[in-house]
Amino acid sequence: MAKNLEHQIDESEKLGMQIVKESEDDRLMTLSVGPQHPGSGHFRFTVKVDGDYVVYCDPDPGYVHRGEEKMCEYRNFIQNIPHLERPVIHDSANITYSYSLAVEELVGIQVPRRGQFIRAIASELDRQIYTLYWLAIYGIFLGHSTMFMWPTGDRELFIDLMDALSGARVTHAFNIPGGVRNDMPSGFKDKCLRNISYFEKRLREYEDIFYTNPLFIQRTEGVGILTKEDAIRLGVTGSVLRASGVPYDIRKAEPYDVYNEIDFKVQYMKSGDSLARAYVPLLDMKESCHIMRQLLDKMPESGEVRAKLQPNPKGPLGEAYRRVESGRGALGYYIVSDGSPKPYRVKISVGSFRNMIALPHLLVGSKLADMPSVYWSLNYWPVEADR
Amino acid sequence: MATYPQEYRFGKFIASIVWVVLWIVIIISLIGLPIIFVILFYVPLPPVNGEVLTPYLFLSMMVDPTRTLPIVHFIIHTDIFKVAVFPGFSFAALFAAVTIFVERKFLAKMQLRIGPLYCGKIEGILQLLADGLKLIAKEIIIPSGADKPIFWAAPIAFVATSAAVVALIPVAPGWVAANVNVGIIAVFAILGFFPLIALLFSWASNSKYPFIGGLRALHQMIAFEIPFFLSALSAVILSGSLNLTDIAKAQHPYWYIFFLPISAFVFFISSLAELERIPFDLPEAESEIVAGWLTETSGMIFGLIQLGSYVKVYALSALFVILFLGGWAGPQIFPKELSHGPTAGLMGLLTLQGVYNGVTVNAIFWFVVKTFGIIMLMLLPRGISPRIRIDILLHTGWYKLIVLTFINMFIALALIYGGILGPGGLLTGH
Amino acid sequence: MSQDQNNKSGSSITPSQPPSSTPAKAAAPPTKERTEAPAFENSLVSQIVSRFGDYKIKVAYIRPLRIKVNVDPTDIIEVATFIRDNLGFDHAESVTGTDYPKDNQIEVIYQLGSYSKDDIAAHILSLATRTNRDDARLPSLTNVYKSGEYHERETFEMLGVYFEGHPRNERFLLPEDWADLPPLRKEFRIRGR
Repeated sequence: MAKNLEHQIDESEKLGMQIVKESEDDRLMTLSVGPQHPGSGHFRFTVKVDGDYVVYCDPDPGYVHRGEEKMCEYRNFIQNIPHLERPVIHDSANITYSYSLAVEELVGIQVPRRGQFIRAIASELDRQIYTLYWLAIYGIFLGHSTMFMWPTGDRELFIDLMDALSGARVTHAFNIPGGVRNDMPSGFKDKCLRNISYFEKRLREYEDIFYTNPLFIQRTEGVGILTKEDAIRLGVTGSVLRASGVPYDIRKAEPYDVYNEIDFKVQYMKSGDSLARAYVPLLDMKESCHIMRQLLDKMPESGEVRAKLQPNPKGPLGEAYRRVESGRGALGYYIVSDGSPKPYRVKISVGSFRNMIALPHLLVGSKLADMPSVYWSLNYWPVEADR
Repeated sequence: MATYPQEYRFGKFIASIVWVVLWIVIIISLIGLPIIFVILFYVPLPPVNGEVLTPYLFLSMMVDPTRTLPIVHFIIHTDIFKVAVFPGFSFAALFAAVTIFVERKFLAKMQLRIGPLYCGKIEGILQLLADGLKLIAKEIIIPSGADKPIFWAAPIAFVATSAAVVALIPVAPGWVAANVNVGIIAVFAILGFFPLIALLFSWASNSKYPFIGGLRALHQMIAFEIPFFLSALSAVILSGSLNLTDIAKAQHPYWYIFFLPISAFVFFISSLAELERIPFDLPEAESEIVAGWLTETSGMIFGLIQLGSYVKVYALSALFVILFLGGWAGPQIFPKELSHGPTAGLMGLLTLQGVYNGVTVNAIFWFVVKTFGIIMLMLLPRGISPRIRIDILLHTGWYKLIVLTFINMFIALALIYGGILGPGGLLTGH
Repeated sequence: MSQDQNNKSGSSITPSQPPSSTPAKAAAPPTKERTEAPAFENSLVSQIVSRFGDYKIKVAYIRPLRIKVNVDPTDIIEVATFIRDNLGFDHAESVTGTDYPKDNQIEVIYQLGSYSKDDIAAHILSLATRTNRDDARLPSLTNVYKSGEYHERETFEMLGVYFEGHPRNERFLLPEDWADLPPLRKEFRIRGR
């Protein structure tokens, strides 16, 4: 008899009683945003809403956890490159960049000067590709479909350049320990300059259609304010940090390769709201065009692009921690070597994972309708965070 | 993967079609025609042009095609035709189909894309047909624990309600399915059903996102119902009638949009909100609540709701045209008669003797042109605007728009009492 | 609107680095130059050492821009608080662990960086501590470095180090039904390798 009753309760729960019960008993409704939610990516966070206000948020990453760090321990330093770029295929030049820097420090390789320049150019191109993709998704998150299509189309400018440079549109295992895989094709410089000047024109159009749109400003201004103190305390990075008024960029703070020869400004804003977090990447893209011009200008006309490596490079006992500024912020590699050709331990410290901690901080207390504008403004790439 | 058979020849394909056509002709002439004859002799035919249509007369149209014209004339003036075909549902559905196609191409051009391209060879003109077939072929998934009767009934009710609005819209003098004296009140009464359907459907689908979406739809539509109604009220005040045909006729020399620009603006904004179109597509905001109250729809349930909402787009644009843009008024560009004097035979058929009415055709033409212009205006925000937030939306609806409508309503009243418009006014046409 | 934004963002930083900490030009690998420890980094370390004494702080290495300091688990909260408050390393860039089965130990290392002080903006202070492998327990630094919260949680599930005082020592990245060894321990083998 009791079993029968239990069965009935189960049945009634199935029949939509849950909504009634939750909303009547404790007024809260638990929503599982993701992983099959158009506004989440490969990521889930549970929010509890009281009416339209979020009162609780619990991020639950790991849907695309691939164990990159464990995989690294089974492959030697060179074999690791192609799989390490999988977490963020749009920005693969940057995610392999800091790995290369760390390996070079461990093994002790000097990169030729032309190689350093090409590496920096590839990194800037990939940063543009990633940021445009991010911007496209930010546009569609706010329901602006044109802002989805335009950056997605304009990515092609840089994807074409990367294609010409490395031979692959995405995941181009191009930045490797010792330099770059191959030299620039002829005519690359002209094409690059042409695309950059076209792209700068397009950036102004983005501002016209999206950034100055009153509805966009209404939705983002004053939403999800991350103060400077909180930003530092939570250790966020990249555009999220710079939007909160901390002018911190690895390219400036710890210039790697040729960045100490480049004249550029760290773009930052002080308000720390979603608008600033949306605006800083745009300013970064503008600055990046500026940087690329200089890189192309200052690059030596000819020379080696890649240092000679021994077939199976191995370092002495030791460890290295190197970072670069990726599209999502500081991207650090901590590599421990035990003297064998394979790394003993690789830790990838990615910007997305560091920015995730700001999500519950900002979301609790805001409206459910602000969820997309806050979530995606954190420059969070779920795949990268999971690694 | 679809592959062509080994011995594929285009000629064989043509031959197979020819065979099919041949068989159809044989079957019709041996079986179909005798059946038609039998039916015609036993079914009483309606009187046409004062004389009873006999089967002999009906069949003699093969000899003289002009004899079909009175039948056509008779049919297009029946109520069933008006409800089902011309000013009614089929016309609106066709309008909806064209709207969807135009929206795709228009939006694509705005976003530097191409849009549908391959289906139908010419600019993807058959894409909609393909999508419709796909939706029909898809499985309809009903969530476990859904309230099945409502889940099934809601999409049909949605389309039916949209069609009910369409039935009240006149497209030309006398061309309306239901010419009621309380036309505009009936329109708003029917529009009031939509939030109910959305809420019922979202409740019936037993899921959280639809539930939130349904509540949002309810909030949004109620918030915009009042400015919607009030903005239309100004036009009613000026014309002194609730009948939509009369309202359109009352704007004879000067359209009301010249006197009521604020009302027209509020009406336009409110109809965008009523239609759940960007920037007011909160009930379907996909980045927040998946697809809102449409989350659990699948297959033709989704198709029906889409059809219903595009029919609604037509209905509300047409309402805008009737209330503010003078309805079907426009310069006469079609000839009054296609031929001078009665002609018989094929020429009579081509000139649509007795059926063609230049004034009506002209009215329909201008009505369609204006409606289409308004529809294009409604499609435009989708390309240039992000989604509005719900609190701003409610604030806009309750505070700003209502005040704006009152401003224009006072202007309308001043125009009436000042003797400028209204019965016997300075600018009133005759 | 956009004009204002541009004006706001018009400034840049120029970290006033001491000459010794200028990044080695053209990525000269610092491993080669281990002969002489740089002065600025030395001064940072000496501040810690003078506060806690040699027996508590074991300096692993001092390189340009990189410092590694080993401490005991019992002292780590104290040392971390001192580093945060007095040296200005205000956030943890990453928290990670390395498994050393030979020593039967797990090393947990906090990479600390600074946003607020320009002169150490490029520096990474690695605060490392070791715990027994069989019963891996460490005090959590969540109250000192909030930024390390998720990293510590990841370290818990990847290496099985229980952080005492951490609000949630729970599954994070791994599947919900993970019932195997912590995967970054060396005895966890990838199938087929």
